[in-house]
Amino acid sequence: MIDFSKPEEREAAAGEYVLGTLDAEDRRAVAEALASDRDLRAAVFAWQDRLLALSARAAPATPSPTLWRRIEAALGNSAPAAAARPPAPRASWWQSLRLWQGLAGAALAMSLFLAVQVLTPPPAAERYVTLLQSPADQSTGWVVEMSRGGALKLVPVGAPSEVPAGRVWQFWTKPQGAAGPTSLGLVRAGMTLELPVSRLPAVGAQQLFEITLEPEGGSPIGRPTGPILYVGTSIRL
Amino acid sequence: MPEASPFDYEAAVLACARGERFALRALYERESRWLLGVALRIVRDRELAEDVLQEAFLQVWQHARTFDPSLGSARGWIYTIVRHRALREVGGAKAVQTLDPQELAAMADAQQHAGGEADDRGLDTESLERCLQRLEEVRRACVLHAFVDGYTHEQIAARMNTPIGTVKSWIRRSLASLKECLA
Repeated sequence: MIDFSKPEEREAAAGEYVLGTLDAEDRRAVAEALASDRDLRAAVFAWQDRLLALSARAAPATPSPTLWRRIEAALGNSAPAAAARPPAPRASWWQSLRLWQGLAGAALAMSLFLAVQVLTPPPAAERYVTLLQSPADQSTGWVVEMSRGGALKLVPVGAPSEVPAGRVWQFWTKPQGAAGPTSLGLVRAGMTLELPVSRLPAVGAQQLFEITLEPEGGSPIGRPTGPILYVGTSIRL
Repeated sequence: MPEASPFDYEAAVLACARGERFALRALYERESRWLLGVALRIVRDRELAEDVLQEAFLQVWQHARTFDPSLGSARGWIYTIVRHRALREVGGAKAVQTLDPQELAAMADAQQHAGGEADDRGLDTESLERCLQRLEEVRRACVLHAFVDGYTHEQIAARMNTPIGTVKSWIRRSLASLKECLA
């Protein structure tokens, strides 16, 4: 039995989990704890990287030429991430009239934001900004800032709200004309997220960004399943 | 052959998360030989090792969205998936295999060979090896049997003719000193 409240036991368990020497019961306990314990995940990842070079001790072996085809065939049956996007029953959510009416209230907030922006020196690259607002009460929760060829920043504004237990916030984008949204990962209340725009399907104006409430680990089907908490479209600065 | 631009494992896994198959293919092209070697060493059966690799690549594809690059490297994550899959395959039920001297010699050669090639793969084998050398020989052997051969505590104890409790505490302390040495 691992006592996860003791730091040295957690650390030892993380190391042995990666090493592979935990007995079935402890391994299961760690695997279960990992789902909700980010610090433990971080400890496991640190051990993965510490011990990675040991993998060089095994002699390489060339796979048979058919192995990749087998893997590819198996992928066909499992539709993960954004691989398969059948027309979703709620595919037209982003066109919802009510939502757009809600967003109309964003104009004032946006003009205030732009007033700040014009005071800063002109940037070299094309820059875009998006206010993410709550369809429920029109409050602004996040600002997305991105530049072509640069980085995207998702910055929380206002008081952070709480993520219900067992659920997560997932960040999505849908460029104008795209068939569906692409996940940009999970976000945490009150935390700034930064990522290279190379991870986005596109960078442009009228690009939709949204944060939805999803089951732990993110949407299992690669597109939003839960309610939209914050949404907005980009404008070019 | 040194590369002009290092392969971006994190970008590849994040692309998998977006459903881009070429990214999984790129990971496969890049790592399958090494990953198959790792799996083969643990399961010791060619066909089974390929099954392990297939399952592991499916897992990488399906769980790419859960990969968080802020926690650690994508390569470390992928190797753990393959090793855990291989360990699950042998289920600890594998009897300790005694190797004949010829087979042992072949493996030792392979290790040196692999070590040489590893330099080209951007793996920092040097720091880890230096820290391993600081461990007592029997303790080092425990860690290597566990990681490389996929042995359980019981199998290591039998193999090294040492009580299981001793093996457990050697491994635990060895990990702690490796961590300190690598810090």
